[in-house]
Amino acid sequence: MKAIKLAFPAVLLIISCTFLIASFNVPKANLGNPNGPLYFPIGLSVLMLVFSIIYTIQELKKLNHENVQIRELIAGRTPKLIGITVLLGIGYAFIFERIGFLFATILFLGALLFFINGVKKWKANIIVSICFSFISWYAFSELLGVSLP
Amino acid sequence: MNSFLNGFMNSVEPINILWVIIGGILGTIVGMLPGLGPATAVAVLIPITFGMDPVSAIILMAAIYYGAMYGGSRSSILLNTPGDGSAIAATFDGYPMARKGQAGQALAISAVASFIGGVIAVVGFIFLAEPLADFALKFGPAEYFLLMLLTLSAIVSLSLGKMVKGFIAMLLGLLLSTIGIDTQTGVYRFTMGIPHLSDGIDFLIVIIGVYAIGEVLYNFLTIDKEKKEKKEVGKVWFTKEQWKRSKWPILRSGPLGFIVGVLPGAGGSIASMISYSTEKQLSKKQEEFGEGAVEGLAAPESANNAASVGALIPLLTMGIPGSGTTAVMLGALIMLGLRPGPLLFENQPEIAWTLVNSMFIGNIVLVIVNILLVGLLIKILDTPAKVLYPIIVLLAFIGTYTLSYNVIDFFLLLIFGVFGLFMKVFDIPIAPLVLALIVGAEMEQNFRKAVLSSDGNLSIFVSNPICIGLIILILLSLFYPLVIKAFKKKADKNNLEKRVS
Repeated sequence: MKAIKLAFPAVLLIISCTFLIASFNVPKANLGNPNGPLYFPIGLSVLMLVFSIIYTIQELKKLNHENVQIRELIAGRTPKLIGITVLLGIGYAFIFERIGFLFATILFLGALLFFINGVKKWKANIIVSICFSFISWYAFSELLGVSLP
Repeated sequence: MNSFLNGFMNSVEPINILWVIIGGILGTIVGMLPGLGPATAVAVLIPITFGMDPVSAIILMAAIYYGAMYGGSRSSILLNTPGDGSAIAATFDGYPMARKGQAGQALAISAVASFIGGVIAVVGFIFLAEPLADFALKFGPAEYFLLMLLTLSAIVSLSLGKMVKGFIAMLLGLLLSTIGIDTQTGVYRFTMGIPHLSDGIDFLIVIIGVYAIGEVLYNFLTIDKEKKEKKEVGKVWFTKEQWKRSKWPILRSGPLGFIVGVLPGAGGSIASMISYSTEKQLSKKQEEFGEGAVEGLAAPESANNAASVGALIPLLTMGIPGSGTTAVMLGALIMLGLRPGPLLFENQPEIAWTLVNSMFIGNIVLVIVNILLVGLLIKILDTPAKVLYPIIVLLAFIGTYTLSYNVIDFFLLLIFGVFGLFMKVFDIPIAPLVLALIVGAEMEQNFRKAVLSSDGNLSIFVSNPICIGLIILILLSLFYPLVIKAFKKKADKNNLEKRVS
C-alpha cells in the first residue's frame, strides 16, 4: 500500500519533468518573439514540478496513515474490474470501425455486462446488450443523424 | 426586454417543451444514480444534442443540468448518497426525514424549494446579466488574463485542506491546454509527432473521461457492497406546518445562493452549506437540525438551485465557468458553435435568454415531474448499478466518437478515465483540472497579447483600476483560506489553554 501511495505523486513528478524537458525542445517561432511559445509551458512545468515535490513530501510524511480508498482499490475484485474495463475499451477501439458500431457495441457491452454483472444473470446481460446497442444505434444514427460506422 | 421575450418564446415552443421534459427526466435519472452528478450527466448526455439545432440543443442541455440537480437531491434524501457536492446538504436533514417516514414530504419540499430558488435567481439574472456583459466589454487581454487567473485561484482556494493538490490539478490542466499548434506562431507543441494532437486535446474527451469513465471506475470500489434499501415514499406533499417553517428559509436562501453562484469558483456546494448554517444560526430549534428539520432541507435546496443560475452569469457574460459543471456546460456550448462572452449578449442575445428562460421553464416542468412521477422515477434506483455502469461506459464511448469520428480518441478517453479514478482515490480535485484545460489556451493567448501590446512590459497587469481590483481579489482568494486556518488554529489553542487552566 505504501508503494501505491507514492505511485501517484511519482507519476506527477514524471509528468512535470517530461513537460519541462519537452518545453525546452519546443521549436523557436519564426514569427514574432522566437521564444513566445516556450515561456508559458516552461513556467507551468516549473511550477508543476515544485508543487509535485511538495505533494510528494506531504505524502511521505503521512506514509503510515491508513487510506481506505487505496485499500479498496487493491482489494477484492476491484483491480480486475478496472483492468478488464480498460482492456475491453481498448478492444472496442480496435473492432469499432472494422465490424461496425452495432456488432462491436453488442460484443463490448455484452462482455462488460457478463464480467461486471456475472454469468448467472446471462439472460439480463444478453437482453440489455442487444436492446441497448440497438436503441443507441437507432437513436444516434437514425434519429440524431450521427454518422456511425 | 425584447431579447428576453424572444428567449421566452423560444423556450415555450412545443418541441422545446418536449426537449425540456426529455432532458429533465434523463438528467434526473443520471443525477439520481449514486456518485453521478450534474457534470457527469451533461458530459454523458452531450451526444444527444448532436444533429440538433443550437437553440433546442441548449434547451435540452439546460434541462439535463437542472434535472441532474433535482436527481442529486432525490438520491440524497432517499439513499443518503448525494450526486454531487451541491446535494450534500440535502442529506443532513432530508435523509433523516425519509427515515422518519417523511420521504414524500422531503421530496416535495425540496422540489418546491428548488423551484422558488430558481425563480428568484432568474429574476436576479435578468437585472444583472446585461450590465455585467456591458462592463465586460471594457476588458482587454490583460483584464481577461487576470479574470481567468481569478477564476482558477478561486476554485483552487476552495480545495480547503488540499490546496497543493488543487494547484497540481490546475497546472496540469494548463499544461494540457498547451498541447497542439500555438495559434500565434504556428509552432507545434508536445504533439509527439501525432497529427491527431495538432489541434490539441479536446477538453470534452477529458471531461467525459474524468467525469464519466473515472466516476464509473471509482464506483467499482464499492460496487459489490451495493445497499438494498426499501424506499417507501408515501404521499408527495408537505403539511401546512412544514410550509410555514420552510417559506422564509427558502426566500432568504434564494438570493443568498444566487450571489454565491455569481462569484467565480464558489457554486452550489458553498451556497447550500452557507444557507444551511445561516438557517441553523437563525433557527429557534437548532437542536432539530441534522435530525430531520424541514428548513434544514428547504434552505440549501433553494440556495443550490439559485446558485446554478447565478453561475451562468460569469459563464455567459464573460465566458468564464465558475465550477466543474459550468465548465462542462461551456464545453457543450462551444461544441454547439457558441462562444459565451460579452459579445454573446450583443450578437446573439436570444441564445443567452433562451438558456435562462429554458432553465426557468425547466424548473416548472421538473417540479411537476418530480412530484407527479417521483414514484416511477425512483424505481430507477432499483436498477442494479452493475447494469447501469456498463451502459454509462458505452455512452461515454459513443459521445467521444461523435466528437471527431476517430477511434484514437477512445485511447485518450481511457487514459483520462483512469487518471480521473486516481485523482478521486488520491483526493485531487477534478474541477481545477477541467477549468484550467478549458480556459488555458485563451489565458495564454491573452497573456501574450497583453505583453506584446506593452512591448514586454509586465506593468500592463497593474495599469488600471480593473486590473488592480482583480489582482487584489486573486490575492484575497489565495490567502483567505490560510488566514481562516490560522485564526481557527489560534482559537483552538486558546480554547485548549482555557480548559487546561
